[in-house]
Amino acid sequence: MVKPILKLITVAKEVGVVTRKYPYESPLLTEEFRGKIEIDASICWGCGACVKACPSNALTIRESMDVMELVYFAGRCIFCGRCADVCPTGAIRVTKEFELATDELEDLEQVVIHRKVKCPICGKHFVPQPLEKYVCEKCAKGEIPTYMMVCPECRRKVGVKKMIRCKGG
Amino acid sequence: MRVRPPKALRKSIWVFHLNTGSCNACDIEILDVLTPFMDAERFGVKLVASPRHADVALLTGPITRETLPKVVNALKAMPRPRLVLAIGACAVGGGIWHDSYSVIGGFPRLKKILEENGVIIDRVVYVPGCPARPEAIIYGLAVLIGLLKKKVKKEVKEAGKGEG
Ligand code: SF4
Ligand code: SF4
Ligand code: SF4
Repeated sequence: MVKPILKLITVAKEVGVVTRKYPYESPLLTEEFRGKIEIDASICWGCGACVKACPSNALTIRESMDVMELVYFAGRCIFCGRCADVCPTGAIRVTKEFELATDELEDLEQVVIHRKVKCPICGKHFVPQPLEKYVCEKCAKGEIPTYMMVCPECRRKVGVKKMIRCKGG
Repeated sequence: MRVRPPKALRKSIWVFHLNTGSCNACDIEILDVLTPFMDAERFGVKLVASPRHADVALLTGPITRETLPKVVNALKAMPRPRLVLAIGACAVGGGIWHDSYSVIGGFPRLKKILEENGVIIDRVVYVPGCPARPEAIIYGLAVLIGLLKKKVKKEVKEAGKGEG
């Protein structure tokens, strides 16, 4: 009976104390640890690539008449970091924040509000402003073609009209 | 806001581990909390085998349809004040299973079902993470019994205007 206990004491002495004193010392975070994500609203385009990539639908898009909201719900996020990988602007940063415990689900939400561009022909709102600005910068060097700023539906109509006019000569 | 713990909880809290169909990763993190590595017994947290003895239910998993009646019974058996710590993305919002046919989809939906059945939950704290870190669980416990304040709050930002 005494022998195993003695053995245990020697093992315990070798190993020492392993208990982390967590609230009183820093948590055991490795370099690869991923926590909640942070969306930088000043550079996000509202392209929605992150929403497509998110496996748990923690990132969703809420649309209304003239606003598009990118909603991040940390409660459902599995901290995989796929959104940060696919984000074309690097707006998503993976932080090491994990102390997210709360009694209100609302606290876990992060909302980025995007105003939408208004179509000059039909007045419908269709695409987030920063995304439109980027496309204009990228595609139209110099002047912007008139139907670049209109919504897809009106653009189709304008295009067809133009074609008919060309054919009719 | 710091909440003063209910009178029944000024001493050691006893926890009951309630797995509602989780993938077991969260359960292993709970083991990590209770065993010497993180040693929650430093704070008097002790695992008990029956919900009738427990102050807090450590609920993991998205609550599958199969477990729902058992979960309701287990929570019903707990004495008041009835406290729940919903651990992991599954328990908080359904996680990656949130739209699956076979799950209820997280504690918020279970809470509604419980209310319909007359089971009152006095306080619930959500601990996100997949799985939630042992440190996060200890932090959540501390928030639940009112030792620490919560850190997060809702953020609404306008695009193109920077932080704020
Ligand atoms: S992928 Fe990046 S730029 Fe596109 S909506 Fe998501 S955060 Fe914004
Ligand atoms: S980290 Fe993963 S789960 Fe979380 S928002 Fe990004 S893609 Fe979705
Ligand atoms: S939150 Fe993640 S780790 Fe925890 S039970 Fe659900 S899937 Fe498993």
